[in-house]
Amino acid sequence: MKSLIGLLLAFMLLLSTSLFAGGKQEVKKYDPDSPVTITLGGYGDLETAYKAVVESKDFKSKYPNMKVKFVMNDFAAHHDRLTTAIAAGKGAFEVEAIEIGYIAKFVASGGLTNLSGSPFNAKAAVKNIVKYAVSNATTKDGKIIAIPVDIAPAVMFYRKSLADKAGVDLSGVKSWDEYIKTGRKLTVDKNGDGKIDQYALTSPESVWEIPLNGGKGGWFDKNGNVLEPKERFINVLNLVKKIREAGIDADLDAWSQSWLASFKTGLVATHFSGAWWGGALRTWVAPKEKGDWRVAYPPGKALASIGGTYLSIPEQIPVDKKLPAWELIKYLTTNPAAQLITFKKIDAFPSLTTIFNDPVMDEPVAYFGNQKARKLFAEIALKIPESSVSKYDVIARDIWITAVTNVIIGKASVEAAYDKAKKQIENRIQ
Amino acid sequence: MVKRRSSGHTLLWKASRTLKYLVLFGVSLIFIYPFYYVFVLATRERANMFKVPPPFWFGHGIGNNYSSLLKNLPFWRNMLNSTGIAVLATFTTLFFCTMAGFAFAKYKFKGKNFLFNFILATLAIPQLLGIIPFFKMMVWFNWLNTWFPLFIPTMANAFGIFLMRQYLNSSVPLDLLDAARIDGIGEFKILFKVVFPLAKPALAVLGISTFIGSWNNFFGALVILRDKRAYTIPVALSSLLGVHNIDFGAIMMGTALSLVPLLVIFLFFSKKIISNLLAGSLKGVAR
Amino acid sequence: MKMNQQKIAPYLFISPFFILFFIFGAFPNLFSLFLSFTRWNGMSKIEFVGLKNFIYLITRDDFFWKSLTNTFFLLLIGSLLQHIIALPLAVMLDSKVLKGREFLRTAYFLPYITSTVSIAFLFGYLFDRNFGLFNYLMGLAGLPGIKWFSEPSTVKPAIAILLNWRWIGWNTILYLAGLQSIPEELIESARVEGAGRYAIFFFILLPLLLPVIFFAVSLSIIFGMQLFDEALILTGGTRGNPGGVDNAGLTTLIYLYTVGFRWGKFGLGSAVSWVLFLIIISATVTFKKIIERLQH
Repeated sequence: MKSLIGLLLAFMLLLSTSLFAGGKQEVKKYDPDSPVTITLGGYGDLETAYKAVVESKDFKSKYPNMKVKFVMNDFAAHHDRLTTAIAAGKGAFEVEAIEIGYIAKFVASGGLTNLSGSPFNAKAAVKNIVKYAVSNATTKDGKIIAIPVDIAPAVMFYRKSLADKAGVDLSGVKSWDEYIKTGRKLTVDKNGDGKIDQYALTSPESVWEIPLNGGKGGWFDKNGNVLEPKERFINVLNLVKKIREAGIDADLDAWSQSWLASFKTGLVATHFSGAWWGGALRTWVAPKEKGDWRVAYPPGKALASIGGTYLSIPEQIPVDKKLPAWELIKYLTTNPAAQLITFKKIDAFPSLTTIFNDPVMDEPVAYFGNQKARKLFAEIALKIPESSVSKYDVIARDIWITAVTNVIIGKASVEAAYDKAKKQIENRIQ
Repeated sequence: MVKRRSSGHTLLWKASRTLKYLVLFGVSLIFIYPFYYVFVLATRERANMFKVPPPFWFGHGIGNNYSSLLKNLPFWRNMLNSTGIAVLATFTTLFFCTMAGFAFAKYKFKGKNFLFNFILATLAIPQLLGIIPFFKMMVWFNWLNTWFPLFIPTMANAFGIFLMRQYLNSSVPLDLLDAARIDGIGEFKILFKVVFPLAKPALAVLGISTFIGSWNNFFGALVILRDKRAYTIPVALSSLLGVHNIDFGAIMMGTALSLVPLLVIFLFFSKKIISNLLAGSLKGVAR
Repeated sequence: MKMNQQKIAPYLFISPFFILFFIFGAFPNLFSLFLSFTRWNGMSKIEFVGLKNFIYLITRDDFFWKSLTNTFFLLLIGSLLQHIIALPLAVMLDSKVLKGREFLRTAYFLPYITSTVSIAFLFGYLFDRNFGLFNYLMGLAGLPGIKWFSEPSTVKPAIAILLNWRWIGWNTILYLAGLQSIPEELIESARVEGAGRYAIFFFILLPLLLPVIFFAVSLSIIFGMQLFDEALILTGGTRGNPGGVDNAGLTTLIYLYTVGFRWGKFGLGSAVSWVLFLIIISATVTFKKIIERLQH
């Protein structure tokens, strides 16, 4: 029996090493004259934007023989499909979109083409792309495996009318303490029925990412210790605790109907999110509140990114497809016109810094009461510090969120939640 | 006031019957409501969807939602895919599972118990991670974007075999089979002439569950089908999630429309469950 | 010749399963069995680690144990409890004198038709804090609304409500089909002998339905232990902490999904599959023993 199992295992090992090993491929050059079809796998709105790009005159004249197809899916489903195809070693599309929340996982586990090597030489291509976003997709040994196509610098969104009524100025909140103080003034019972019908924010849960760079990297210190320096994480737990204790949040679950509605009914006065949220507000969350929402630096000028999309080429793609795939990625990420089309179509903020000086960025945005909101997004994007991600980031983050929510609901003290999370993560990563 | 004419016993009986109907119909509302709600939302525009109290009645967005749905999806093509796969899955499953269930229920053969337990045990293996090697095999077979992987591997499945065995055990009398054999009818013919007609209620149950299971299969279809036009309904609808410029009502419209075939299938099969030859009515028992 | 045909026929009849299993099932299952003894992130070289994954699961994996407890609890209140409702319901719906039974049968079955994707929307509405039907009704009754998914204690009840709602119709249909094979004469003669309604139910119907009960409950155990979709939908999909607040809705399959697809530990994930497999098998065998006792 034992020998049978041994034999079986040996057989499986043989089978799997032969099936699951990728061969080295020879490097050629992109030939614009040979017809080629590239499929881009993505999620959400991406097709709307990229379709407009590849149908543009400029793209068609530059790549007359390239046909681009799209396969879109729901956000989570897309990444599950990609994980399956990468692990199976076959069946991925030539270009695959990856959301920033998943980038650490793919950076760490491999399966995507190293774009900094020849013939792609991504290092030259990304020189005008926002630095922090590139750093999130760079491995420890300097390989760039995906290119940022849109980014989401985090800001504080707020309702001007509600701030005015409460007599507070939210355009430059200096610290979180000040935010909580202001938040108390924003929390009011408007109709005097004894029930509060206006809060500062939806939930403290929406705040924790802001002081932690949006949770992109930074989970480990230089020596590989998790949740260190301790003070940084303890401060965040204290912050969410203070917000809940101040009673200034409406206690709503993210993406629930109540939560969505709170942005138009005036139930909440502020919200922390990435630049894309402005697009969501304008197009479907709160279109009628046009002119009332504003954007500002988060308290204490905290810098974070919440959201963002990358484009990558799976390792398993044959080289004659990799080259045109790379041309497509380069066009979408470094061509100013393409970046602007994407911005206009789906509010995905450009990752290309050269267009931060484009007149478009200076245009007043009607939805934000003619505020020059884009200027602010760009300014923040340039300041967000670089940080490299690690293969355990997803684990650290998943476990950390439990610590945050347990502190918010009062199930654990700040110290206890921190200790438990640290222990759990350490137990996981050995 | 209740008239004195009826005796105390009848009164009590009437009261309990009224209560029974109240409970049965009252509770059924909870079961219907969400279903009904899909149709309500399908007729509403996004702007008037979130309200207190929640909208209970139909809105005016039908046309809008429908055209938005068709603009974003080859919806009827997706319906066709779902229907085709589900029909193939249902017919093949009914055939192969009845056959195997019959063997386990009415034959004596060597290794019967072991083989049956083996089949049953396969149900208990979580298939979540198996999708990776399975997907790889489908690439070898060149079966991506085809219907085959979505019904062939499950044609003779453990669930169906188990169901048919349990049912045939008690509903096909051995005498009937022996009589058929004495008449010189072969085993295959017995299967068709005797077993299938007697198995109607179970076939109906298996038919419903196979059709619905196939229709709602998401993860398998997600990795296999890689083209909008090849998508089945659940994959197609989920691809609209997160698309900001589409009306939420359009997704609900798609959902509502996709429920109609399932409802038809259920009504069709559920008639068969009750109208069996051997069926004894349980008249009185439930009163 | 005839005898021979009778000998070969059963093997022929069951062969499709085994042929299909050999082609489509053997490789994925053996591969995952093999993976459970390895460390693999989906791309890296597969590294053999012996029993390490299993030892880790049993001795140190608090998430795994929590997920098992959650799953057992949900199995009890979500998947098994409903049989006590579904069986009498089936008997009632079978009654010829019941008015509107066609309608009722369809009504109770509707949730089973509804797909996972639409359930996600619907229950988003039903459980919503301010707009949800449940809290709206509670408000009408003067009760405070429930914070379904921000409190660990209400997460499992919410999932159980969905499970009961979705599967009662299915179980009822199973029992309804089972009832069709009970001959009417049996019940008639019992009634002639003076047996009451409850006596008939407990002493005639129930024993005769044991095979169907065995089938229906076994399925509930097997699939209940593999609970995934409903719990994942209600606890916020894949964006937040696995299984929602305080991991209160973390089922073993959600854990398996998290470990494999999110954390990229396919070796450990496969080990979870096989440990869960053994647990399900032992639960089913135990249940089978109980039923066999009852049958004698």
